[in-house]
Formats: sequence, structure tokens, C-alpha cells
Amino acid sequence: MYHNMLNLLSILMLISAFSLIANKRQNSYISTFRFQSALLAGISLLVSVRAMIVTKAFDEVLIMFMLIVVFKVVVIPRYMKSTAERVEYKVEKDFFINIPMSMIICCGLVVLSWYVIYNIDGITDLDTKNYLIYSFSVVLLGLFFMISRKKAIGQIIGFLVIENGMFLAAMLTTEGMPMIVELGLFFDLLTAFIIMGIFVFKINSTFESIDINKLKNLKG
Amino acid sequence: MNSAFLAIPAIIAGLVWTNKNKTVIHFTNLAGAAALLITSVLALAEVGRSKNIVTRGFFKDIFYIDSLSAYILFITALAFFLVSMYSISYFGEELRKKVITLSKLKLYYSLSNAFVFSMVLALTTQNMGVMWIAIEATTLASAFLVGFYNNKSSIEAAWKYLIICSVGIAFALLGIILLYYSSTIGLGSNKLLGLSWNYLLENASALDSSILKISFIFILIGFGTKVGFSPMHTWLPDAHSQAPSPVSSLLSGVLLNTAMYGIIRVMSIVNKSLHSSKYTGNLLLLLGLLSIGTAAVFVLVQQDYKRILAYSSIEHMGIIAIGLGICTPVSIFAALYHTFNHAMTKSMLFISTGNVYLKYHTKKISGVKGLVKTMPVTGIAFLLGSFAITGMPPFGVFMSEFNTVAAALFSRNYLTAALLLIFLAAVFGGFVKQMGKMFYGSNNMTELQTGELDKTGPFVLIILLCITIMLGVYIPEPIKALMDNATNIILGIGGK
Amino acid sequence: MIESILKLIIQIMITLLIAPLFTGVIRKMKAKVQHRVGASVFQPYFDLTKLFKKDLVVSGTASWIYNLAPYVYFITALAAMCCLPVVYGLTGFSFYTDLLVVVYLFVGGRIFMALAALDTGSTFGGMGSSREMLVSALVEPALFIVIITISARTEIASTNIADIYKYMAVNTGTAFTPMNILLFASTLLILIAETSRIPVDDPATHLELTMVHEAMILEYSGRHLAFIELGTYIKQLVFMTIMANILIPAGFDNSNFILGFGIYLLKLLVITVLVGLVELNTVKFRLYSIPNFAVIALVISILGFFTGFILR
Repeated sequence: MYHNMLNLLSILMLISAFSLIANKRQNSYISTFRFQSALLAGISLLVSVRAMIVTKAFDEVLIMFMLIVVFKVVVIPRYMKSTAERVEYKVEKDFFINIPMSMIICCGLVVLSWYVIYNIDGITDLDTKNYLIYSFSVVLLGLFFMISRKKAIGQIIGFLVIENGMFLAAMLTTEGMPMIVELGLFFDLLTAFIIMGIFVFKINSTFESIDINKLKNLKG
Repeated sequence: MNSAFLAIPAIIAGLVWTNKNKTVIHFTNLAGAAALLITSVLALAEVGRSKNIVTRGFFKDIFYIDSLSAYILFITALAFFLVSMYSISYFGEELRKKVITLSKLKLYYSLSNAFVFSMVLALTTQNMGVMWIAIEATTLASAFLVGFYNNKSSIEAAWKYLIICSVGIAFALLGIILLYYSSTIGLGSNKLLGLSWNYLLENASALDSSILKISFIFILIGFGTKVGFSPMHTWLPDAHSQAPSPVSSLLSGVLLNTAMYGIIRVMSIVNKSLHSSKYTGNLLLLLGLLSIGTAAVFVLVQQDYKRILAYSSIEHMGIIAIGLGICTPVSIFAALYHTFNHAMTKSMLFISTGNVYLKYHTKKISGVKGLVKTMPVTGIAFLLGSFAITGMPPFGVFMSEFNTVAAALFSRNYLTAALLLIFLAAVFGGFVKQMGKMFYGSNNMTELQTGELDKTGPFVLIILLCITIMLGVYIPEPIKALMDNATNIILGIGGK
Repeated sequence: MIESILKLIIQIMITLLIAPLFTGVIRKMKAKVQHRVGASVFQPYFDLTKLFKKDLVVSGTASWIYNLAPYVYFITALAAMCCLPVVYGLTGFSFYTDLLVVVYLFVGGRIFMALAALDTGSTFGGMGSSREMLVSALVEPALFIVIITISARTEIASTNIADIYKYMAVNTGTAFTPMNILLFASTLLILIAETSRIPVDDPATHLELTMVHEAMILEYSGRHLAFIELGTYIKQLVFMTIMANILIPAGFDNSNFILGFGIYLLKLLVITVLVGLVELNTVKFRLYSIPNFAVIALVISILGFFTGFILR
């Protein structure tokens, strides 16, 4: 039952990554990201509660759950929304590859990650293999999202999705990395996000747009 | 010792904000850099005596210094000290010309100390997770340094740097997660210790090799992005060319080595677990040759002298990767030696470009003529540095490249050796063709005054020139012993 | 023989009884979210009784196809429903049932409707039938992959519902395998497209630029319209039943009829709420965006296929 629930939630995360790629509007990127983070929070809660039941001691993943809820579900989407409202919006069509094509590419990416993970003989636990496939696919999908969008905001969202995939992998394969590492990771990535946000404003003020296509002075 | 390493840059990063006098700020930073250098020399001595430095108490499983980390720490501290000295000259001139304000200067010093802090953290830790955090933090600290001038091209460079490095390094995190997973299933769950490379290296045979293989690929791609290996190198020329010159020399001389250090640590674990260096070696050789080849091609088409130097950094990281990939004692010694040589020579070159830029106000090669006549010391240092970096004797780079090629031949990697020589020749040709235009002749621009800008810049260049030449003919005995130790650690023989 | 006829009759009665309910639930749910009181959950029943009482208005140029189509549409949907298991031990056509038959029954009904819409020669009819065919063609690949995956999961790889049914009876514990969840999600999207719901089609508007299904049945009135509406409700129920009983077989192996039926209704309600949530959170797509929607369904079903084969 526990693994069934985790399976369900992680699959939903994968599906939300797909629907992110099928989305066209900035605001729906943000709300899809929020949905995905909420799923991640659910997974972390499940993992920590189960660990607490098994060991009858406080589990550190619970702290991660709170951090995810506070930052990823509430603060970051809100900050993204206000950023998206404050920068100018001029890009008509936000993607390089049309949606059906990119969906099929993403399907290929999932198959690729399946192929890679499935051929590791060392992972004997089938559930772990599953989870690794999902989290690796989420990472690849986030990467593809970053490549396929023109706007700086889209790239930040892609980065955040990659991050979600990382946390998914860390949580489900090893039941959480050591606490210091995990906290460090979280605040590192949070800082990365804030710095990216600052750069979005800088790009907007110097290039008068957040279209990344305009950033092509440097070549070769 | 460890706390000193981390405390010095952290304190200086805060301290520069407290003062309003620019001279005091300059010297606060210089004093910090000097203290860091002294600490690293002390660490070298300590490591020479007792092989390693351990920490007690709560951070027992986090901090650990052995010969390899002490060696790269020393390079970092030395380069940072020299760059700090040069910063007085460079940013002093910028301040005089009102290009930057005092608060910008404080920002620079604060961020460069944070940058050094994160690199020192990456080098003093034994925990792969903390190392990842520190290497990601280097990106964050230096993103604003790359975009320091806030103009279109520097913001573009900073954005590319931030995005490509953050995403690339995310793959390294996946690799580290897999590494941790293999340690939990092979050695049981022991939280922090399970991520320590020291512990993993000791118990490498208990780890599952198929997981380690895939984890090495991820880590190679992730940290390799930061190192600047070829398909992932695109951020590097932009960031190096758009950053202020002191930052460029820190990026090229120190940051790339730190990222390479991460790869080295994982490499020795994987090698020990697989009982052969074939797997990691082939991957590193492939990436190394690809990087050198890319650099050889792109050097020819550049119009910006800092970009040429950036491509040269890619090339040299490729050479180090080849040295590691061959994985014989000679080649690894050569790779370590090359790390030092490259750091010093490239710092010298970037510092020279700083002077050139301040004088000519252009980064275009076509805008610079008669450099030797206009700025005698900088011109000669730049000229000799260009020869040194392309591998001319009697400089240190020649010695280490020679050793790398020799090691390739001894280990029967004839194809590698041949390709390496061809690419090196191509890079040399490219350098001569491109850079040659800058040095000779006389400049027609009458408004340009002949002579150096001040005395500090040339002084730093002369120190670096001396180091570079000295490394070509003589390695001090303690350093050599240290490098031998480090070689053994990488090969998985000695260390403890 | 007598027993199976009895079962058939029970199943038809259940179907007719509960089919319109779920549309009512979705409407009520939307109304609540929009702070309206909304019509009663049973409003579709009242609408149907009203329509049955009304007179027919038939175009003078219409041929027999026009008059026959509503009955064919209704009968095919009902027959499809009879193929499916509702509660353990109750299947209408217990002698021969096949998932492909379900799909082809729908295709048959749809062809008649499209022809009938063309029959009267009105502009809207032609437009509606061409659009309806487009939508159905777009989601068809996803539907077939779902069916193939379900059938391939049984040991003898059969599309026969009886075999699937037997397989389910012993494997009800596997309700939340990745494959089931992915196929469930895909089928949810197919359901939305096939039964003309938002975001693919809006059953509540009659705007010539956007309507798909409504354009096709615009000419119909009275008894004919009632049969078409009822057919659509049943079609919706068929997809929901596939989702509830075949894709998420949890709680299906219950020999107690009343309890089994309760669980079945509960699952249908959950699916209804999911459909309602999708409707509430999206806006109607342009016609040219429907391929994107169909591709999502396709990709999810392909993923389900892969995980189903690789990880079983």
C-alpha cells in the first residue's frame, strides 16, 4: 500500500511535468509547478511518517516536508507570479518546437531514462528502479522544458522542475540524504532561484524583454 | 586549521562592507588573502608531517584534508593572493575613471571572498554532498561577478553561466544520489559517513560497480560542465571574456581545478571498485580529446583576446583530463603538475589582459597594436605567457605536457598521443596567428600614453613570470613530495 | 439462458437509471464553484422526460437515415454498456464480449450521427460532423493503446472482456500500479474528448464557432433528441465503467451485490469529480489546439504501455 501510494504520487509528478510541457501560458506554468511541488510535499510527508512509524523516532524528512510546503508550494510560486507580472510580456509564441512534437520527444526521453535505469544491474529493488525512472524522467523533462521555451521565466520553471526531480530521487531511493546535505541543497537551490529572479529583472531592464532569443551577442 | 580556512574568507567578505575608505578595503582583502595563503602553507606542512588533517567533534565526518586537497588548496590560495594584489591596481584604476563606484568595489571583494569560501569548502570537505553544495555555491557567488559591468553582453554571459552551470551540475547531484544509494545498499545506512569519499574509497569493493558506472557518468557530465569539457563548454568563453580580468583569472585558474577535483575523487572510487581504470579512463580521454579539438578549432576564429585565452583554458582542462584518463603514476603526476602550471600561467595571462584592456579599452585583437612598445612589462609578460601556455620550453606547461605525452606513449595510447600532439600544434599555430598581431609594430593611436598604468600590476606579473619559469626547471622538494602523495591517493595506493 | 436474460435486463435498467445522474453532478459542482445555486442533480432526468413528451419536428428533406440515427446511436451505446461488467458476476452479454466491440459499437453510432447531420443539408450539421470525426480520429490511437495494454496484461493477451474480468478477479490488489494510473489518466482525457466536455467541446453553448457535438445534433428535437442525449450519457457511463472496473479494480471482487454496487457508484462519483475538476480548471480549446490535447492522452497511454510491459 505504501509503495502503491508513492507510485501514484510520483506518477502524478511525471504527468504534471508532461502537462507543463503542454502548457502555453506563464501563469499556468506557475500553477502546474505549484501542483507538482504539492505532490512532492505529499511524498515527503508519506516517507517521513512511515519512517517515524517504523523507527518510533523523529524523522528528519519531516523538516524537508515543511520546507517544501513553505517555499516550493507557497513562497516561490508567489514570487514567480509577481515577477511575471512586473516584467514586460511581449513574446507571442513561447516555444521553439510545437506541442505535439515536443510531447513525443518527451515520451522518447522517458523511454531513454527507462532504458538507462533498467540496465543497471546493481539496483535489484523493482520499486526503487521505478522511482528512479520517474525522477530521472522528471529531470529530463525539466531540462527539455528549459530548452524549448524562449522566456527567462520558463527557464527558471524548468530549473525548479529539475530540482523537484532531484528531491524525488533523493527521497525515494535513499529515504532522504543526510540532513545537513539536504538542508544545504535546499538553501543552495533557493539562492540559485533568487539570483535567477534578480537576473530576470536585469535582463528585462537591459534588453527591454525577457526573450532569451535576444541574448545572442556572444557567439563562437 | 579547517575552521581557519573557512573563517578567513567568510570574515573578510563581511568586513569589507564596514569601511568607507577604499585603501582600507583593498588592504583588508589583501590581508585576508595573505592569511589564507599562510594557512594553506601551514596546512601543507601539516600534511607533509602527518599525511592528513582530521577534524574532531560534530564535523568529524565532514572535513578532511589530505595531500591532494592541500595541494589544490595551496594553488587556490596562491592564485587568490596574487589576484587580490592585482585587484588593487585594476579596480583602483576603474575607480579613478569612475567606471565603478565604491559600493561596487565592496560588492566585488565581498563576492570574490564568498567565491573563494565556497571553493575552499569544496576542497576541505570529504562529504560528496557538501562538495556538491559548495561547487553549486561557486556558481552563485560568481554569477554576479561575471555580470559585474551590467551591460548587455555581460548580463548575457552571466545568465548563460548561471543556467548552464546550475543545470549541468544538477546531473552531478543525480550521480551523487546514486553513489549514496550504492553506499546504502552496499554498506548499510550510515547517514553522513555514507557520502564521505574517504570512507567510500576504503570500502570501494563493497559498492556495486554497475551503479557506480552510471553515477560516474552523471558526475562527469555535471562537474564536467563546470570544468568546461567540450560539449558543455559554451558558458566558459562568454563568462571568461565578459568578467572583469581579476575574476577571469580566478575562474580560469582556480574554479576549473576545483570542479576537476570533484571528478578526481569520484574517479578514484570507481577505479578502485572496478579494479581497473579502463572505464573512467576512456571517458576522460574522450572528453579530453574532444575539448582540446574544440579549442584548437575555435581559437582560430576568435576576434577577442580574452576569448582565445578562455578556449585555451578548455584545452588545458582537456590535457589534465587526458593525464587523469591514462592513469599511470607519471600521467597523474603530470596532470597535477599541469594543474599548477596552468593556474599560474593563465592567471598571468588574464592579469595581462586586464592591463591591456584598461589601456586600450577594447577586447578586440584588431584594436591592439604595438603592445610591447606601449606597455613594456605587460607586453613582455603577455608574450612570454602566450608562449608558455602553448607549451614552449622552458616554461612549466611544457614540462607537464611533455610528461603527459610521454605517459600516453608509455602506456601504448598511441592514438591519444598522436591526436594530442596534432591538436597542441594546431593551438600553437592559432595562438601565433591570432595573438602575434598584438605585440609588435607601433600603435598609430596618438592619444595613447606609453608606459604602464601603475607599479602593482607589473609587480604581480613579474612574480607570476618568475613562478612560471621556475616551475619549468625546478619543483621544490616538499611540493614534489606532496604531489607524489597526491598521485598515490588518486591511484588508490597510499593516502592514509 | 433465462438467467443471462435476467442479468441483461437488470444491467439495462441500472444503466438507464444511473447514466444521466453524473452529468447532473458535474453541472451542480460547476454551479457551486461559481457561487450559483444551480439546477438539481436530477435535472437531466427532468429534461429527458420533458423531451420525450414533446412533438417531433423533422425537416422535409430528411431521409430515413435522419429518423433512424438517434435510435442507432442510443442502441449502440446501450449495447456497449451491456458488454461491460458492472458488479462482480453481472455482465449483460456474458456469452461474447470484447473491448474492441465496445469501440466499434461507438464508431457505428457515430457514423450514423454524422451521416444524419449531413442528411438535412444544413451548414452546421456538416461542420459539426466533420469536427466530431476529427476529434474521434485524434483520440482513437490513445484509446487503442489503452485497450492493447489492458489486454496484454492478461496472461493470454486477449481483448475478451471475460478474460480481463477473470484476470481482475485474482489481481484486484494491483489497483495502483503505475500502468493502471497512467492508463486511468489517459482514459480520463479520452472520456473528455469522446463525450464532448470542456476543454474539447462545450456542451452548454451553441456558438457556431466553437460547438462540435451540439452542431451535429442541432436539427433534432423531441424524442429523437432525448435518445441522443441519453445515448451520450450512456457513452459517458461506459468510459467511466472502463475506468472504474477495469483500470482501478480495487474493491471489485465483492460477492455482495449491494456492497459491490455501492463501491461501483462511489468510484463513478470520484471519476465524475475528476472530470468536473478538469472542466473547472481549463477553458475551451481552439479547434486547432485539440491535437495537443489528444497527443497528451496518447503520450500518457504510451507511457502506461511501457511501464505495464516492463515493470510487471
